[in-house]
Amino acid sequence: MSKPEESETFDPVDLFPEATEMDLRPGVDKCDKNSNCETVCPVAEVNEDFPGPKFQGPEQWRLTRKGDLEFDESVDKCLNCMRCDTACTNGVPLGQMHNVARANYVDNQMNHASREFLRNKMLANYGTLGKLGSMMPRISNAVFGLGATRWLNEKLLGFPSERSFPDFATQTFRGWWSDRGGDATSAERAREAREARGEDGEDKKVAFFHGCYANYHQTEVAKSMVRLYESLGYEIAVPEQSCCGTPMFANGMLEDARGVAEGNVDTFGSLVEDGYDLIATCTSCSMALRKEYPELFDIDGIEDVASHMFDAVEYLRVNEDLEAELEAADVDFPAMTYHAPCHGEVMGVEGIITELFADVDGVELDDTGDVCCGLAGTYGWKEEKYDDSMEIGAEMFEAFEEAPGEVALTECPMCSAQIEHGTGYEVKHPMQLLETALVES
Amino acid sequence: MNNPSTIVIGGGATGVGIARDLAMRGVDVTLVEKGNLTHGTSGRMHGMLHSGGRYAVTDQHSAEDCMTENRILRDIASHCVEMTGGLFVQMPEDDDEYFQQKLEGCLECDIPAEELTAEQALEMEPYLSEDLERAIWVPDGAIDPFRLCVANAVSAENHGARIETHSEVTDLLVEDGEVVGVEVEHKSGAGSRVHGNEGEIEEIYADHVVNAAGAWAGQIGAMADLDVEVIPAKGVMTIMNVRQVDMVINRCKPRGNADIIVPHETTAILGTTDEEVEDPEDFPEEQAEVDFLIEEMSKMAPILEDARTLRSYWGVRPLYEPPGTGTEETEQITRNYFVLDHDERDGTPGLTTVVGGKFVTYRKMAEDCADHVCDLLGVDAECRTAEEPLPGSEDDAVLSDAMDRYGLRSPVARRNKQRLGSRYDDVLSGADPNPVVCDCEGVTRAEVQDAIESVGTDLNAVRQRTRASMGTCQGGTCAYRLAAELHPEYDEETARAALEELYQERWKGQRHALWGEQLSQATLNHAVHASTMNRDRDPTDVSVDFDAFESRAVADGGESDGD
Repeated sequence: MSKPEESETFDPVDLFPEATEMDLRPGVDKCDKNSNCETVCPVAEVNEDFPGPKFQGPEQWRLTRKGDLEFDESVDKCLNCMRCDTACTNGVPLGQMHNVARANYVDNQMNHASREFLRNKMLANYGTLGKLGSMMPRISNAVFGLGATRWLNEKLLGFPSERSFPDFATQTFRGWWSDRGGDATSAERAREAREARGEDGEDKKVAFFHGCYANYHQTEVAKSMVRLYESLGYEIAVPEQSCCGTPMFANGMLEDARGVAEGNVDTFGSLVEDGYDLIATCTSCSMALRKEYPELFDIDGIEDVASHMFDAVEYLRVNEDLEAELEAADVDFPAMTYHAPCHGEVMGVEGIITELFADVDGVELDDTGDVCCGLAGTYGWKEEKYDDSMEIGAEMFEAFEEAPGEVALTECPMCSAQIEHGTGYEVKHPMQLLETALVES
Repeated sequence: MNNPSTIVIGGGATGVGIARDLAMRGVDVTLVEKGNLTHGTSGRMHGMLHSGGRYAVTDQHSAEDCMTENRILRDIASHCVEMTGGLFVQMPEDDDEYFQQKLEGCLECDIPAEELTAEQALEMEPYLSEDLERAIWVPDGAIDPFRLCVANAVSAENHGARIETHSEVTDLLVEDGEVVGVEVEHKSGAGSRVHGNEGEIEEIYADHVVNAAGAWAGQIGAMADLDVEVIPAKGVMTIMNVRQVDMVINRCKPRGNADIIVPHETTAILGTTDEEVEDPEDFPEEQAEVDFLIEEMSKMAPILEDARTLRSYWGVRPLYEPPGTGTEETEQITRNYFVLDHDERDGTPGLTTVVGGKFVTYRKMAEDCADHVCDLLGVDAECRTAEEPLPGSEDDAVLSDAMDRYGLRSPVARRNKQRLGSRYDDVLSGADPNPVVCDCEGVTRAEVQDAIESVGTDLNAVRQRTRASMGTCQGGTCAYRLAAELHPEYDEETARAALEELYQERWKGQRHALWGEQLSQATLNHAVHASTMNRDRDPTDVSVDFDAFESRAVADGGESDGD
């Protein structure tokens, strides 16, 4: 809307860039200011300059008038952990409010020629970077491991030199999958497993959203998932796909996220129509498709994709009698300490693993409690946020030190990077534990 | 005393407008008001800066006045005005012919107006009903009545006027058939908030008395046995928690009930109804009126049906029509105003009454009335209120770089700036540290302290000046902080009484919003206040057995310092 005080003629001007024009003020109606959100914010706990989620979300939105393009710069310090969104007892769409405010901030207030913007753009589009790196994994690993590279990365791009870049797998998961014979082989193995189990199970079909990390780095996690699911009679489809968009949301690049979301909804939407359920081993990927896509974009078929999207552990808990399967298991696994990722809590899967293995022979498992690791995807990869990231993680590091376990267990690849960085622990994914218990034993 | 003197009765927009105008012309003015400024209808209006479009078909004289004053107020009161623009929305059941009349009427009255298609209107206001046929754009806006009245009063004071709030006129002093002054009772209240002496009866004499008591003008007139036939007509307004619209939305049909939405600060205000009442102070406030309002408005903006309302309030219009006009429906009575010379009319000199009119035309009413008074008093001075900006609206340019200086979060800085206008720098440099006291409205300590400086312990007046406690939680999380700001200047007992008074006022309007989210808000407020401030009991009854704490500390082997 133009400013009529300057001219009395009507002259509509759309001041809002496409992706960030959402009016989220009506969502404020649900807020009763009970401050539950404030008590769970990991950033507010370590950074007293951070005004907290109640301000970032409902208060800031309510103070907004149409045409107010400026959002408070503190939204840049939000982790996008979504703990506030989960903690809210009234259903205030805090995650959505933060995402849109951040996108407005990045679009309209951030200097697009700055080092931070360039670095954030790289982090947000990690899928592209990972693809390049994994073309020549050994060389990439050697180059990224060099002290000189790290030094340059910090000086030029603002990546903290304290962190070491994750190694690229020598073969991507997709490479392995295709060598193995792709979807056809999976269908065959699943059919054999179903026969052995005496099931007909025509409908045991899942499409796998592997995302970036399980494809380029933690390929063992994806492979464990494949072997576990197939042994339970599920045939798996692994379609072409893009990054889920999580790092784009977290860096306020909603237009980039819309691009990947459109592609992913198209691909996985048709698989849903063909009777597939959707699973991911990374809780941030599954949360993006289940929660953030429908909250932020209006894409044909988006609700179907969201309602069929599951975390890989959650899906088995819902559809299989895992307790019965595990009763017979005798697992030879070192003592473990489980860390629930924040986005796992949003997915509602944080309790499943500890419950499932509570009585399984040979498993010693405790957990770190309700704490954020502090890395939060791309947050801890920013030099200026490194200290906050480590301070947030301190509580988790301490929990690991005190726990009897020797191996860490978590669903989230970024939590696992932080655990390795802060504790030196070896980190496993629940898929790997379940595979050991149910496939190998 | 050399200057001629005048008493103005009524601290609403008209009263403070007259006080300012006369003071600027060199008249020695005393304004008396029984409550705080805007206690009456001015504080209970829609907050709409009319373009006049609403009256463009049937009451063109009022429409022209509205448009002229609309332009002037944008200029002299820029910090009180938000130029949102407005739409007249035609729904399927509304008459095509009336739409044309409206469009033509606007143009006849020099109101810029433009026809919009349904698509254009929906693009501007996506929460309007998709059924709408078309719309007319007009330069409606929003205006903050509290800020406007306070600015007028401050300006009047700067020109030497005496402003007495909480001072009720108990009688008109009549000598030899001429009104020569007023008798007022200075009310007592929490702390020092009157300039007179509390509880004292004072007789104030002046060369002339102006009755600008609005809906109460009839009662004032009766004190001198004068018949002023003000027709008080009540109307309900409901405040929504958020702005569902950013423009004023009018229904394009003959003037009626429940047909305006005004985006006001952080809220949207729905209004209104029009029903004659006997007594402007004592009339029924019925939930059915609120329900009707929401139901009707939801036809234009369906989102309102389930949206959260914060409170509802009723205002009483001081309608007037010359004796013998005989209009039957109150909404048909002209919004024109009348300056009544009681010498000419009733043979009682010394008193002028001004009645009728619109909030938006307050300045013009004040000008006409001041012209009349100056004539009688032989004062030869021109009116300057249309040119001279109000305090707070003097200079827009100096504000641009002030945003970052006080370390405020950007939406808070923006709101502070909008509320304070050119006083932004002055006020914000006055408190350090300057935390946000009211989170919902982004009100800072500096603003609160500034308001306390001018109104003392009257926290309702602090509220009106700052908007503190007018947001989502209705004071649940800031009322006690406001009271705490009174300390150390005022003692604990005074602060407590001021808090109680603010709570009562906040509760009053919420009674008509207690369902859904606002009910749960009120419940949470109660629970928090009960459990942390003992407010479900007498909080001054401190019969805590402190010895028990001491003995427990000793039993636990811990140390105790005795408090």
